[in-house]
Amino acid sequence: MALVRIEALHKHFGSNHVLRGIDLDIEEGQVIALIGRSGSGKSTLLRTINGLESFDDGSIEVDGEHIRPQGTDLRALRMKVGMIFQQFNLFPHLTAGQNVMLATRIVRKMGDDAARDLAKSMLLKVGLQEKFDAYPDQLSGGQQQRVAIARALAMQPRVLLCDEITSALDPELVNEVLAVVKNLAAEGMTLIMVTHEMRFAREVGDKLVFMYQGRIHESGDPQTLFANPQTPELAGFIGSIN
Amino acid sequence: MAYAFDFSAVLEYREALLAGTGRTLMLTGIGAVAGLVLGTAGAVSRAWRLAPFDRIFAVYVELIRNTPFLVQLFFIFFGLPSLGVQMDEWQAAILAVVINLGAYSTEIIRAGIEATPRGQIEAAQSLAMTRRQIFFHVVLPPALAKVWPAICSQVVIVMLGTSVCSQIAAEELTFAANFIQSRNFRAFETYFVVTAMYFLLAVGVRQVLALTGQRLLGRRSK
Repeated sequence: MALVRIEALHKHFGSNHVLRGIDLDIEEGQVIALIGRSGSGKSTLLRTINGLESFDDGSIEVDGEHIRPQGTDLRALRMKVGMIFQQFNLFPHLTAGQNVMLATRIVRKMGDDAARDLAKSMLLKVGLQEKFDAYPDQLSGGQQQRVAIARALAMQPRVLLCDEITSALDPELVNEVLAVVKNLAAEGMTLIMVTHEMRFAREVGDKLVFMYQGRIHESGDPQTLFANPQTPELAGFIGSIN
Repeated sequence: MAYAFDFSAVLEYREALLAGTGRTLMLTGIGAVAGLVLGTAGAVSRAWRLAPFDRIFAVYVELIRNTPFLVQLFFIFFGLPSLGVQMDEWQAAILAVVINLGAYSTEIIRAGIEATPRGQIEAAQSLAMTRRQIFFHVVLPPALAKVWPAICSQVVIVMLGTSVCSQIAAEELTFAANFIQSRNFRAFETYFVVTAMYFLLAVGVRQVLALTGQRLLGRRSK
């Protein structure tokens, strides 16, 4: 049984048909790398999985929670699906520790002490235990992104969505974030990543999904696909990146 | 013949001046707290288009911002009794101040709320927070911090504006001044002292508000 099951998913932005029938099954523990040109629908697809984008037709199921085109309680779903963003999106008025604690306290209703202990252990996991009391603007981009990862992990999600999480970072900060993600993958976290880090996708990904004009154009084992793209579009895309 | 200044003629009435100062501060304090609560409610209604409140607040804001405070006060104190709504002068003064500050702060706080980056709200949604939790924990604190200097100015403007409450016989600082100069006929000295007192009050209130902002909203609200 797939942890995430996406069937016949369609979405329009006005007259623009951005998702044109997506079918995708993701097993527990898999690392999925979503790649494609901008405008291919990869970020939109990612954002439908936790309800940040609605869709017009089809279905998404995450660990037994169904999302339907209209009217779903998204909170139950979002308890199971964490997300990390390109722009980090830390809450600027809260310290790193408070950022991690906020949702565990008010959503998961943990007590202050338990939430604090959990926040500390999550910051330790991303190598920032000493930054508990630092405000976001006192942290580098890479550190902010690692706090954002700790914040998402504290909710103990079943799946983590990563939306171009290294694209806003200076080149020398990319690796510290990818190292954290690599550890998560090794621990068996299910990850769905929109990424431009092709080497990372190749090394850590279990499955590569190439989006083209709103469809999954090609997917499969990353090593194989990179070495041997089956379609001229993927070949062209790989060529344009390298 | 040169005018002989006599400030002792004012100081004789220091108790009246202090009592008036206290009431001016009371009016400002209650007005500020309740007005900012009202303004926050108005701001979120408008920024997040919470029907029907967004429309109601839009009309209310326009109505208050385009009419004089004195007329608003007279309307409440002299006008409303015709509809059977009786108030004493303090109730009317407090209500007028709250309504007035509520309208201006609706627009100020709305600017702060609308400046919230979309990504912050999405991050909060992704953490399964409810709309209410997102508003109070994620949106409101940075929004207030951003516009706090404007809020401080508006509260000081309102405090100075409370002087017109003397016109419905609310015995605040300006009422005390009018009373004193009608007794001692020392208009220059009296209004000189009261002008200085308002000036010091304004500076003091601004300081207190700035410190309050730093305590409640953190380092950003300077």
